[in-house]
Amino acid sequence: MGEKLIVTPSPHIKSPRTVKGVMLGVVISLLPACVGAVVLFGMNALLILITSVVSAVVAEALWQRATKQEITVGDFSAVITGLLLAMTLPPGVPLYVPAVGSVFAIVIAKQIFGGLGSNFVNPALAGRAFVLAAWPMSVAGAWLNPLTHDAVSSPTPLAVLKGGGTNIPGLWDLLIGNRTGSLGETSIILLLLGGLFLLVTKIIDWRTPVGFLGTLFVGTWIFGKPGALFQGDGLSAILLGGAVLGAFFMATDYVTSPVTPKGRLIFGIGAGLVTLLIRLWGGYPEGVTYGILFMNLMTPIIDRFVVPKYYGYEHDARARKSAEGKR
Amino acid sequence: MKRSLLHEFTKGFIEENATFRMVIGMCPTLAVTTSVKNGFWMGVAVIFVLTFSNVFVSLLRKMIPDQIRIPIFVILIATPVVIVELLMRAYLPAMYEILGVFVPLIVVNCIIIARAEAFAYKESVLRSFLDGLGIGAGFTCNLMIIGGIREFLGTGQIALGSFVFPSVKLFEPLVVMLTPPGGFMTLGLLMAILNIAVARSAQKKAH
Amino acid sequence: MVNLKRGSGGIAVPEKKELSSSAKIVDAGLPNELVLFLSQHTGAPASALVKAGDSVKRGQLVASTQGAVSAAVHAPTSGKVKAVEDRYHPVQGRLCQAIVLEPDGLNELDESVRPRASAVEDITKEDLVALAREIGLVGLGGAAFPTAVKLTPPPNKPIDTYLLNGIECEPYLTADDRIMVEEPHDVVFGFRALMKSAGVKRGIVCIEDNKPEAIEAMREAIKPFGELELAVVPTRYPRGGEKQLIQVVLGREVPPPPGLPLDVGVIVSNVGTAYAMAQAVQKGLPLVERIVTVTGEGVKTPCNFRSLIGTPVSYLIELAGGFSGPVGKVIMGGPMMGVSLKDLNAPIVKGTSGLVVLQRGQIKREKVLPCIKCGRCVEACPMGLLPVWIAACSDSGYLEDAEKYRAMDCIECGCCAYECPSKRPLVQSIKLAKNRITAKRRALAAKK
Repeated sequence: MGEKLIVTPSPHIKSPRTVKGVMLGVVISLLPACVGAVVLFGMNALLILITSVVSAVVAEALWQRATKQEITVGDFSAVITGLLLAMTLPPGVPLYVPAVGSVFAIVIAKQIFGGLGSNFVNPALAGRAFVLAAWPMSVAGAWLNPLTHDAVSSPTPLAVLKGGGTNIPGLWDLLIGNRTGSLGETSIILLLLGGLFLLVTKIIDWRTPVGFLGTLFVGTWIFGKPGALFQGDGLSAILLGGAVLGAFFMATDYVTSPVTPKGRLIFGIGAGLVTLLIRLWGGYPEGVTYGILFMNLMTPIIDRFVVPKYYGYEHDARARKSAEGKR
Repeated sequence: MKRSLLHEFTKGFIEENATFRMVIGMCPTLAVTTSVKNGFWMGVAVIFVLTFSNVFVSLLRKMIPDQIRIPIFVILIATPVVIVELLMRAYLPAMYEILGVFVPLIVVNCIIIARAEAFAYKESVLRSFLDGLGIGAGFTCNLMIIGGIREFLGTGQIALGSFVFPSVKLFEPLVVMLTPPGGFMTLGLLMAILNIAVARSAQKKAH
Repeated sequence: MVNLKRGSGGIAVPEKKELSSSAKIVDAGLPNELVLFLSQHTGAPASALVKAGDSVKRGQLVASTQGAVSAAVHAPTSGKVKAVEDRYHPVQGRLCQAIVLEPDGLNELDESVRPRASAVEDITKEDLVALAREIGLVGLGGAAFPTAVKLTPPPNKPIDTYLLNGIECEPYLTADDRIMVEEPHDVVFGFRALMKSAGVKRGIVCIEDNKPEAIEAMREAIKPFGELELAVVPTRYPRGGEKQLIQVVLGREVPPPPGLPLDVGVIVSNVGTAYAMAQAVQKGLPLVERIVTVTGEGVKTPCNFRSLIGTPVSYLIELAGGFSGPVGKVIMGGPMMGVSLKDLNAPIVKGTSGLVVLQRGQIKREKVLPCIKCGRCVEACPMGLLPVWIAACSDSGYLEDAEKYRAMDCIECGCCAYECPSKRPLVQSIKLAKNRITAKRRALAAKK
């Protein structure tokens, strides 16, 4: 028996799940909402999506080439960044916005900090925050009417609410996405379909979206109506704006959210709270981006203090207690 | 080995660059660098104060008692600051309006007190003078570079008096560059680039 | 039936037990050479009593214990000692002293091999403990801790429960399953002997619910004995680890290292150990053979063998029909915690529960990617640790931090590395940290 044997440390079998597989799963889960965006907002939406994805991928490849690293665009993580960024933009933005946003997301928010796994904020959201701050007028005012695709000067439903108005679309329109809003945030049903896919394939943990949306729902229900408690419209708070998109696809980003289940619940609740604060009492109509970005920054702290109970913890706790008792 | 006099002046640009290498004087660096012009005048004010205070600290270094040297430094620094402030108010009222509180705040600028403490208090008058001039000029360069980048990206143009470059806007300006986040990003990126460059040249020297 | 408690962590792995779970145990016979390592157990190596040229008989003591935690070694068959020399130890991964035996084919029994008792009631507690020590009994589940040491807990640590570990949570392996199916009465006999020797009144037989045949056989076998209970544990890796077993069956948690099961009043032994104990009491046979599963997609006919300790791996693989195609790995033990062999001349040791042969096509060389902090390892860890941070600290040399994240608690079950989508060698990183922390502690102790 002169066979050459492979020698490696244990374990000798590994789960079929790979980084690429996980990322591909996320891309697939985003596709229905992307198709929905194109149906609702037309060619411009498609162009924005393509521009964003292409510039994200090209930026990553070029950066890795320039810094003499291995080119890893095949892992789909840049594609996700591009898709997510595009989905947070209004359908009427000029194409340089997604292009610059993607480059910023990939180069400044991701690669400079070490690439995949090392970025400290969600690249797509960092890109969105950047373009929103860079071109506030063209990004926050480029809304299109769904289906008719004509530019509207009227604000998004959230902005209507913010201004004290009550004239928002009905529940069904909100669910299918028949309202003004960012590309990918409007068609709630398609987003939930993708979210469900992620939950079923165990790519994401239910705690983050549930913590996020739950906090938003309860918080708005309690404080949503000025001057009266427990009369706010919690459901609309979830369906309006980018809450669903953020909760299922952005707050669940592995790299920038805690590693423990309990930590992820805290992350979700925290992001929901910050979003709520901004929406109800802040200057912007929408706060999902900043809610998640804020909790991205809190993630190292959560990971430091929220640790699982190790096996044998009870024994140590008893020992400490009895030691204190003796003293 | 004493360093050459020329080196006392040039070290302020790269080697002991206040902003990027020593990371001091961050307040004005971030606050007033929204244009080349602001950066320039802020820098000039700092050069004046720094040179003045360095020279006087150096002159008086044998007389200043160790225990109370910091209060004395502050007085020696406050004097030129008041002079600069009054001069600016008289001759550059528009600029004074923009720089605002950051001119009087030069009193507590880290660069100046650091140079007084770390350099002028120990060195000769001539060297202190050159040091003040060099560090100040380096600082001015930093402010102008950061200001230039932010002004160009944030407004689409760079305005130097009546000369505006480029004459037509090539792109939609990025407002964010004129805000503090833009300042931080520019600063961070420039610092990274300079550090890479210094590390590379050190590596080359080692080989 | 015992009410189960909540276990922590763990993973679902492909079981692959069906390859060999219906293969009856067959005698492996005599190979041309047997290699008996002096160190086949946890603790001090035994010291050889024979030299090259000596003739030995089956069951004869050839190496005696050294120190309190040690185990004797016996000749598995009659023959001539060829040499006492250093051989490559497959599990310890270094050269170790071994007795090399050339069987003469006669299989003569040594006179020391004689029946001790036909019923557990006929032999005293003290004699049982002495017997366990005499026959070199060690835990046959894999860790090979000398059983006699377990059976004599310090008097200030009362033991109330004895668990018989028939979980066999490692994929592929079926040795324990087959013993329970084929020899349930001997297993129960041995278990009762072990319980008596430790002075324990309550015994629980624990079996994973993927072994219905074994569960039925054992249920029948324990019926006459009121002190024995059965616990059917849901299948999940690594429930067969003694800490995890104690947690899920009794709801107790063994204190962190250096805590032992006896700190919570429990002893755990493998069914193979109980079976060997029964052989010793009934026939007087020392630990010279054990049941070894030879399985995996890489062998033609997966089998369960009754194999002499010291039998070369290559011999057993030939007996199982040889390789079914290009071979990838030959793993001693299970695929989760076993050691991949580099040399098929390596012998079976007391702790070898199986050989898993994987085809070349089954081994994927996957690139190690950066950690994406998905947290799968955290959820998988049965010890409630944070493998992601321990490994990160270990990789960057922060030993103190690795220690603070409780690197020393790791049982190296491999759940984290199995789950990692970036295919990071987490267990290896954590092992490295453990080794370096141990070395540092030793150095500190030496200084004092």
